[in-house]
Amino acid sequence: MRWSRAGRAATMESMTVEVSNPVATASCWSCGEMRVSQFCHACGKVQQPLPVDYFTFFSLPQKLEVDVGRLERAFYELSRKLHPDVYARGDAREQEWSLQQSSLLNDAYRTLKDPIKRTEYVLRLEGVELEEQSKTATDRARSTGEIKKQVVPPDLLEEVFDLNMQLEELRAQKKLGEDDPALVEEIGRQKLELEEKHGALVEQLKARWKEWDKAVDSGSEEDRRKVRDGMIDLLNRRNYIRNLVRDVNEVLEN
Amino acid sequence: MAYSDKVLDHYSNPRNVGSLDKSSQEVGTGLVGAPECGDVMKLQIKVNPQTNIIEDAKFKTFGCGSAIASSSLATEWVKGKTVDEALQIKNTEIVKELSLPPVKIHCSVLAEDAIRAAIHDWKKKQDVSKPATVEAR
Ligand code: FES
Repeated sequence: MRWSRAGRAATMESMTVEVSNPVATASCWSCGEMRVSQFCHACGKVQQPLPVDYFTFFSLPQKLEVDVGRLERAFYELSRKLHPDVYARGDAREQEWSLQQSSLLNDAYRTLKDPIKRTEYVLRLEGVELEEQSKTATDRARSTGEIKKQVVPPDLLEEVFDLNMQLEELRAQKKLGEDDPALVEEIGRQKLELEEKHGALVEQLKARWKEWDKAVDSGSEEDRRKVRDGMIDLLNRRNYIRNLVRDVNEVLEN
Repeated sequence: MAYSDKVLDHYSNPRNVGSLDKSSQEVGTGLVGAPECGDVMKLQIKVNPQTNIIEDAKFKTFGCGSAIASSSLATEWVKGKTVDEALQIKNTEIVKELSLPPVKIHCSVLAEDAIRAAIHDWKKKQDVSKPATVEAR
């Protein structure tokens, strides 16, 4: 896409603008036309970042199933156009804004490209803070006197606990310099199992994307809640397993 | 991050580490986890069936220093209490006692959850074994 930098540069000269103070608006600072996220679509000038979500930033629909090819192309094109070199001679505002846009671009791309981060991001847009889940459940359990529904399922907890016991043993053995090969092998085997489980969870999560997008389209609050809770559950399990695999690797490698 | 002296004390000198016989009628076991960090905590209580007083408590925690300190403290606190008294223990009290910073609050939540889960497990055992005498005495 080509765009002209001439625009109405002349009007800028008469304005004394501080780089950080103007409020970003939906119209171009330079020519007043409607802008898209990064550039004015009429005069092409770079704009101060709008507080938009990452999907809007890329002009993508707010869906979990993302056309990754399209995302990638958009990323590379924008990276090129926002490159600091392009603005080396621009005015101070353009330099500042292109920098801000670039860093936003990188955050947005990194988040949307990664299946887990993308899902967590969409949940966050929904107001779900994964970190808060556990605390909220405890408050609920306390006030109702009921047993708290563990965010992590009991069978997984058992497994995590037992594996941790074995890891502890192996750590102790290693300290003495006499690790039991049978234990090492056993832990290695469990690690493989965990990695498989991890992969399966990610697949299950991806399978939910379509359902989520459909629920959003249909506007059914109930479907939405159901899919959302399912995704939270899967993400929690996945995080758990990921941490465990990390610990196992640490012990095995040392 | 700097741990408070009390955390360090429990961490380097944890009270009541170990386990109780899971299958015993008098023992309740709580196994809980924090998805935020992947830590797990097991807390067990041994209850006198006549008095409902928690006579012994053990824990084993795989987790951060705050989680270890929280569970260590929790076992100290529940001992000598009746199960109903122990149910009153709140994570905020643990936070206060150990001066935990906000990022470590979930570690204390874990300890409260573990107490509740252990008591719940114990109560379940009592219901099953002698359904008619739950409120004995
Ligand atoms: S960081 Fe996980 S329990 Fe403390």
